[in-house]
Amino acid sequence: MGLRKTPAALVAFGTAAALAIAGCSSSSSPSAGGSASTSSSSAPAQLTVWRMGASVPSQVTWMNGVVTQFHTSFPQYAKTKVNVVWVPWTSNTTDWNDALASGKNAPDITELGNTETPTEASLGVLANVSSYVDSWSGKSGIVSGMLANDTQNGDIYAVPWFGGVRAVWYRTDQFKAAGITSTPTTWAELVTDAQKLMAKYPGTYGIDAITDDSNAFASFIWGAGGQVATESNGTWTADLTSPADEAAIKFYVSLYTKYHLSPSKYIGQTELGNTGSTSGGANTDFGLGKLDMYIDGPWATATMPANSTDKSNWASFPIPSQNGPSPAPAFAGGSDLGIFKTSKYPQADWDLISVMDNTANSTSFANLQGFFPPYTAQLTSGPYKTQKFMSGFASAAANSQISPLNAKNWSTADTGKYYIIPDMLKALMNGAPFASTVASANSQLQTVLNTGTES
Amino acid sequence: MVRTVSGQPGRVRVPAGPSSGAPLSFRQRGAIFIRRHRLVPYLLLIPSVLVIAALILWPTVQIAEFSFQNYGLSQLVGSSPTQWVGFANYAQIVHDPEFWLSLRLSVLSAAVMVPLTLIVGTLVGLLLSRLGRKMAAFVSSVSVLAWATPAVSASVIFVWLATPDGGVVDWFLTKVPTWLGGGAHWAGFSWTNAALPAYTLATAVVVWTSFPFIAISVLAGLRTIPGELFESARVDGCGPWRMFWRITYPLLRPIFQVLFLLSVIWDFGVFTQVYVIIGELGQRDEYNLGIYEYATAFTMPPAYGLASALAFILTVILLIITVGYVRASVREGALQ
Repeated sequence: MGLRKTPAALVAFGTAAALAIAGCSSSSSPSAGGSASTSSSSAPAQLTVWRMGASVPSQVTWMNGVVTQFHTSFPQYAKTKVNVVWVPWTSNTTDWNDALASGKNAPDITELGNTETPTEASLGVLANVSSYVDSWSGKSGIVSGMLANDTQNGDIYAVPWFGGVRAVWYRTDQFKAAGITSTPTTWAELVTDAQKLMAKYPGTYGIDAITDDSNAFASFIWGAGGQVATESNGTWTADLTSPADEAAIKFYVSLYTKYHLSPSKYIGQTELGNTGSTSGGANTDFGLGKLDMYIDGPWATATMPANSTDKSNWASFPIPSQNGPSPAPAFAGGSDLGIFKTSKYPQADWDLISVMDNTANSTSFANLQGFFPPYTAQLTSGPYKTQKFMSGFASAAANSQISPLNAKNWSTADTGKYYIIPDMLKALMNGAPFASTVASANSQLQTVLNTGTES
Repeated sequence: MVRTVSGQPGRVRVPAGPSSGAPLSFRQRGAIFIRRHRLVPYLLLIPSVLVIAALILWPTVQIAEFSFQNYGLSQLVGSSPTQWVGFANYAQIVHDPEFWLSLRLSVLSAAVMVPLTLIVGTLVGLLLSRLGRKMAAFVSSVSVLAWATPAVSASVIFVWLATPDGGVVDWFLTKVPTWLGGGAHWAGFSWTNAALPAYTLATAVVVWTSFPFIAISVLAGLRTIPGELFESARVDGCGPWRMFWRITYPLLRPIFQVLFLLSVIWDFGVFTQVYVIIGELGQRDEYNLGIYEYATAFTMPPAYGLASALAFILTVILLIITVGYVRASVREGALQ
């Protein structure tokens, strides 16, 4: 978390400079980009953008290009420095909280996971951007479901930046060597193929049954025809004890307990290792060839070790459903861009966001990382279907779902305080009794989804 | 906690009275007032009391206040008013199974860590007292290195030693013969995915970093025991085991008592080592009281009021132990 220690003096200087500049630039011409920058056109000395994850060179280059465009399109910000800070996904909620609570080192713009946006908006971390979005040329082209996710009571708190889905990573040459001719489409085939791979490559693990990635685990529940929780008239009903959900939970746990396809060290881990890490987990094992199949989104390329082996054979297939043939629905993940509540320059923030998230830039960014842009037109004509590595993700994206992972209290239930599903899977893999463990997780999930707290 | 029993350093004979009859200056009268009421010790205490008050007492008062409020993020930034909720936070804690689980882990781990630390420390202390000068210097400086290692570094090193991917601990256990509990099933064994192995590792780290203090203290104590006692015991045919329990332990009892209570206080409140070993937050079945309190306060959505109540409970538990410590110290004459 020691990534962004802006000295207090620098902040003070920045503020003073900004005030000085504001004094002379109040008559600057309207922006060339055509955006309605009619409100106070004070030019900040510096804008701080929080990006999530680990710093990636290609993304830094992309951001530098965006900043240049920002300076050209909006001459009044020609002197504004854009400071990008990388925040680990695992500590981002704490970091927002600390920034808001202390009033120090806060971002102006922040990237948010799309499941986090509803929670953060309701906690008052984000500024209301409705007025900017309503007059934004990009609004009409955005996938409407993605924008709806960022809207609460008619007010918009963030804009979608990119989307992505998880699928199963594998290596084509390993499949061939193990005699697997087509990618699995049912759970039974998934197990058989993993067993074949482990037999062919002794010492490797078949597939990662990590406990701390509900975004991926949800696909197993959905793939059995179940729901994690359903909402009706504003009340959530948790569904983990339904036969379909129980079948999914049982199957997922059995990948470790019965089939031994996944090692014990993945219990309690995310796809990236321990909660606080970004390496050393299943991602590293897959990159080094110690894990045969790995569940994650294409963006995980950025977290693969530098000495990953045999990258050219990486490919993907959608997470299979229980009985096939069509894949399990994938969780519609992705990131949004929002303006931090405490930012003094919402207009400048929005102007930068409008450059970062215009059609060309969001598409080039998506292509760079294997995400999908948030624009309908780009999605339907994207290059994704033709690439070996991306095709599995593209098929998965065709059938995606987000509820209840975007419920207001989902972050609290799943990653903030309670870790309900991760802890349930962990307990089951460590041998806890099935029925009572699932039942207590189910009632806990229902309470937290409805009230935001356990008791 | 210093008690002036004898000697009474503040007491100085006050002159019977000014013989000259000249009026006393303000300074002189102040000096007489201070002497007459024996205020010197208290005046000397004022600076440290002020520092302690600012650093410990005032935050404690604030925590006590928060613990009766619904203090959260929106109250902190001022978007909704702070409300007094009485004992609601405490009631919620008492009815929270997670609290009892973490309290249990704290108590159980301290119950293992404290005796182990004391035993290992005492044994090393006894060893040091019997070694030659060069060897004693070597052993004590190596132990002090372990003591001087920061808790985070020590924990990270132990996590690496025990990592399932080629860690030396798992490798060693696979080489140990089966009848000693070793065997192939230790390959890739995870020390962090359940409470028992994680706390086994944490105990190893805690014992490793805290036994040197015990050893040095015991050694210092041993140096105060006259050698004739051991010599005559040896002449009478006394073995080392009996010598320890009949001579060393009774004479060093006050030291052991203090070391025991200090270890309880340190090990009951252990945070850093466990936090590193369980891989930060997320494994709720592996939280001890300190980590549970931290998670309550600082994960989204933050519940500062509830966490303050937890902190207050932890403080009261430690206070009870501390009172026991101080009473024991005073009774045994360690403090006078």
